[in-house]
Order: sequence, then C-alpha cells, then structure tokens
Amino acid sequence: MEYPRYHKDIVNDLMSGKFILASDIKFNSLKEQAPFYERFFKESFGYALEIKSDYGFLLSYETAEQLSRDICMFFAILCYELDKDGKNFLEEIQYAEFEMEKLDSYFDNSAYAELIASNNQLKSGESRRDFMRTLARRNIVERNGDAKFTFTQAYKVFVDFAADFAKGKLAHPIETEEA
Amino acid sequence: MNKAEPKTILNFLATYFDSLKDLFDLQTEDGIIRKERLQEMIQVRGDDILSQLLDYKIVKKLGDDYEFRETYYKLFEFILNEFRPLLPETIQKYEHSISILFRKIREGISKDKLILGQRINDLYNEIKEFSEAVEKNTIRLLNETRELKSNVEKLDYQEKVRKASFWIDYYITPLNNILDINHAESITNKLFDISNYVNVRRLNFDDENIRLQFEKTYTFLVQTNDDLLKQSKLLTNELLPLIERIRTESVILTGWIEFLKAPAKAPLPKVFKIERVYPYSNDMYLNAKEYLEQFAIDETIFLEDPTMLSDKWVFNKDLYKAKMMNQLPLDSFFEWCGLTLKGDYQQIETDKFFALTALLFEDGISIELDKTEDRKLINTSQMTLRVPKLKIEKYGIS
Repeated sequence: MEYPRYHKDIVNDLMSGKFILASDIKFNSLKEQAPFYERFFKESFGYALEIKSDYGFLLSYETAEQLSRDICMFFAILCYELDKDGKNFLEEIQYAEFEMEKLDSYFDNSAYAELIASNNQLKSGESRRDFMRTLARRNIVERNGDAKFTFTQAYKVFVDFAADFAKGKLAHPIETEEA
Repeated sequence: MNKAEPKTILNFLATYFDSLKDLFDLQTEDGIIRKERLQEMIQVRGDDILSQLLDYKIVKKLGDDYEFRETYYKLFEFILNEFRPLLPETIQKYEHSISILFRKIREGISKDKLILGQRINDLYNEIKEFSEAVEKNTIRLLNETRELKSNVEKLDYQEKVRKASFWIDYYITPLNNILDINHAESITNKLFDISNYVNVRRLNFDDENIRLQFEKTYTFLVQTNDDLLKQSKLLTNELLPLIERIRTESVILTGWIEFLKAPAKAPLPKVFKIERVYPYSNDMYLNAKEYLEQFAIDETIFLEDPTMLSDKWVFNKDLYKAKMMNQLPLDSFFEWCGLTLKGDYQQIETDKFFALTALLFEDGISIELDKTEDRKLINTSQMTLRVPKLKIEKYGIS
C-alpha cells in the first residue's frame, strides 16, 4: 500500500498534539488526502481530525483537558486586558508581535489576579515562559527568541470557541449560568 | 443557644446547599425571604427544610416572612463571592470611627494601659472591617462592570451608558475618593499617618504587651495599605474608564468574560491530549519493541580488531629485571638490551627497546657513565639510536 507524502511526519505531528499549519509543507498533503486521514485516525485510534482552510489538528475525546482549559484562560485574560488597554484585541492576536515583558505587565496587573494565581501555567513570569514553550511545541504560537512571540492561525480554534460559548450564553443566559 | 451539634449544622448546609443558595438569592433580590416565595422554593426543590432552618438558627422569622441571620448571610456572600454593594457613605463611617480611636490612642498614650490596649484592639478591628468592606465592594463593582461589558442581557447602548453612569456616580467615584492617596482627606492617607505613628510606638513603648499590640497593628497596616493601593489601582484602571470601555462590544469578549466566571466548570475546545504510556499498559510491549527496533543494527560491530589483541606485546618487567640481575655487572646496558631482544625476538623493535630501558630506574643497581667511550649505535626495526655506554653493577648488600 502506498501512503501519502510526509505520512510519517503528519502522523507524528498530529499525535504529538501539534497543529499542522498552512505554512507547513505537510499541510497540502494532509489537506489533499483529508478523507484518507480522517478514516485513518478514526479507524486506528478513534480520534477525529479537523482540517480547516489554514490548519489541521486532532481532536481529543477527553474533554476535561487541563491544557485546553489553561489555553482558554490565557486567551480570555489576554483579550480582556488588551481590550481594557484600548486595543482591538482580535487584530492584535492576528497580526501583532507580543513581547513577554508586556504580557507580564498585563497578567501581573490584571483584575483576574486570583484566577491567575491559582493557575500553575500562568501564575508567574517564569511559568508563563514555560507555557509559551508548550504553546510553541503545539504550533499555537511562534516564538521569536525568548522575549517575543506571535500567534499562528491556530488561535482561531479558541476564538471560535469563545464566540460559540457566548452564543450559548446569549441564547439561554439563565439556563447556562446554572448548568 | 444553639442545641444542634456544629457538625450536624455543617452537614445540613452541605446537603441542602442548592436550596439555601436559592434562599440567599431571594433575600438578595427582595431584602427578605417572602413566605410565598419560600413555599414555592420548597415545592420546586422538594426539600422541606423550614423547621431545620429555624432550629439551627440559620434564618429567623420576621412577621410572616423570613430573613437569614447576618452570620450565615455573610458566609454565603463569602463562599459565593457575591457581595452586596455598599454605598460609599456606609464605608465612609469607618473614617469617623478610625479617626476617633486614633485620636484617643494618642491622647491617652501615657494613661491607663488596659484602656490603651483595648483601643488599639478596636482600631485594629475597625481597619480590618473597613478593608474588607472596600474589597467586597471592589469585587462587586468589578462583577457589575464585567456584566455590562459582556452584555449578556443585550442592553442597548443608551441603557448600558445609563447603568454605567449610575455605578460610576454612586459607587465608583466616591469609593475612589475614599481610597485616593492624593486626596488629603482620604482614609488611605489617614491609615498612612496611623501606620507611621504605630511604627514608632512599636519600637519605643515601655510596656511590652502594648508594644506587641502595636507591632501586630503595624504589620497588619502595612499589608492593608498595600491591598488598598491595589484596590485603588483597579478602580482607576478598570472601573473609572467604564463608559469608554462599554463603547465597544464583541461576542468573543462576551464569551471570554462568561468563561472566566467559572473556568473550571465551562466546556472546552477539544485540544488533543497526548496519551502517556505506562509500563503496565497493554500497548507497552509493542511500543517498547518498536522503539528498540529503531536502534537495532544487523551488522556486528567490533570496537577493535580482535586479532590485534593477541599480538599486543606486554612488557614483563619482572622477567627482564631477573635476567638483568643475573647477568650483572653489565659493561654496556643499552647493548645488553639490544642483544637480549634479539635473542628473544630475532629483531629489536623500538617499543620493546624503550620498554627495557625502564629497568634503569629499578632499585638495587648502580649506574656509571663511561665518558671515555664513544656512543654506540643500535639499529632497531624503525630507527638507529646513538646511545651512551652505561655500566651497571649490583648495588647494596645482596
């Protein structure tokens, strides 16, 4: 049987929790062979594969994933603080290069201090640097040295989640609150 | 006096927490728990807990209606992080009580120690209550303003501005005046004065008990001043610019604000979870086999040619020393070395020759250089050596 080009690298990357981005040479192969890969991951491991126009990733069937929760908290606080700072947070996440020092200032002065202090990935400058390395390993951010980073297109997964979450809340504010 | 066991009451609170939370919400909304609404709740939840609520003194009767006792109401406020907004004038009253106590402490500093101690204690408690009231109010105001920003209720812009102005005019600005360090009459400024005074007294007061009380108050004040500065910063950065902040609205930000209300309970995007492989898992054998096979190499590799090992000559110093000692005295040591090697191996290899010269450093021999003789030539397998004539004799008693 003949496998698609970069098959081994595609499987390795996806199984390591990485997002495969459109800028990656493997992405074309993944996208062209989407039906094969969807079946491959479903049949072999029971995982669902999500391929969008500019990234692809595997979905875990485990929902209480701590990393996912940490990433959402990170995005939530960052967006909130950027907005408070008078910035268009979506544009910033899409196009801006972030400095770790500025990120520290947002998190250290945030009104969500209690939530931040109780999260091991976000509670200090050092833990946030480790966290950025984790995000970089998953291709959610691209690190430019130790002090700067930009978000990859993978940010959309989380931003879309926030929008869906809001729609759920907006549709049934009271029911969802109590759930 | 409460007759029930404390643990029974705590168990009751835990078992019927949801019903109690409903009652808490009713009282927060109406000021009291109306009899009809209580009955309604009991019917919906199916928990007929009224008699226990009264027996355990969690609520008290107020005419036909009911009300939480203050201790329990505050407990629920605290564990739910939902506080009643206090009007700044309610908080302002602490300014009065703190000022009076501080004045009395200074005036009565050299009078009755018992009264002085009591006043310091009261001052401590007043400052604590004040600081807690400010913190609760800031939390409440933050929640209110986030609600406005999130706008789940879908208020139109004018209504949002009206609500924001209400919070700013009646709560945020007056609270900021109380906390503003640049405002001469602010309580924060007063607390700094008190802190300076207490700092001196904790070091130089002659009575040890009072000194310790000053010490405790000082430590607390340092912490309180830090906390108040933080609250003041929140007010300035987050609450005062509220009108400006509610101008923009985004469904994404609404989602995040709602998510941050209870991140531990919220659903999550399904980011892939890497499976850890445990040594006892079913897949371990095949995984380990696959891993090891990556490093398996078919060819046999020798670190050193095994035939070389058998050829390697090892200098047997004891053997050659014994030979030398038997033939002493020697007329020319180096020539003896050459002859011995030739006798044993038919040729003189350089390495072996140099190995034998090490015998010169052995004990029990004396060495004499014959200066009159010319140097001798010794041909080894690789080179020709010019060596001096060394006479070797036995040395010492044998």
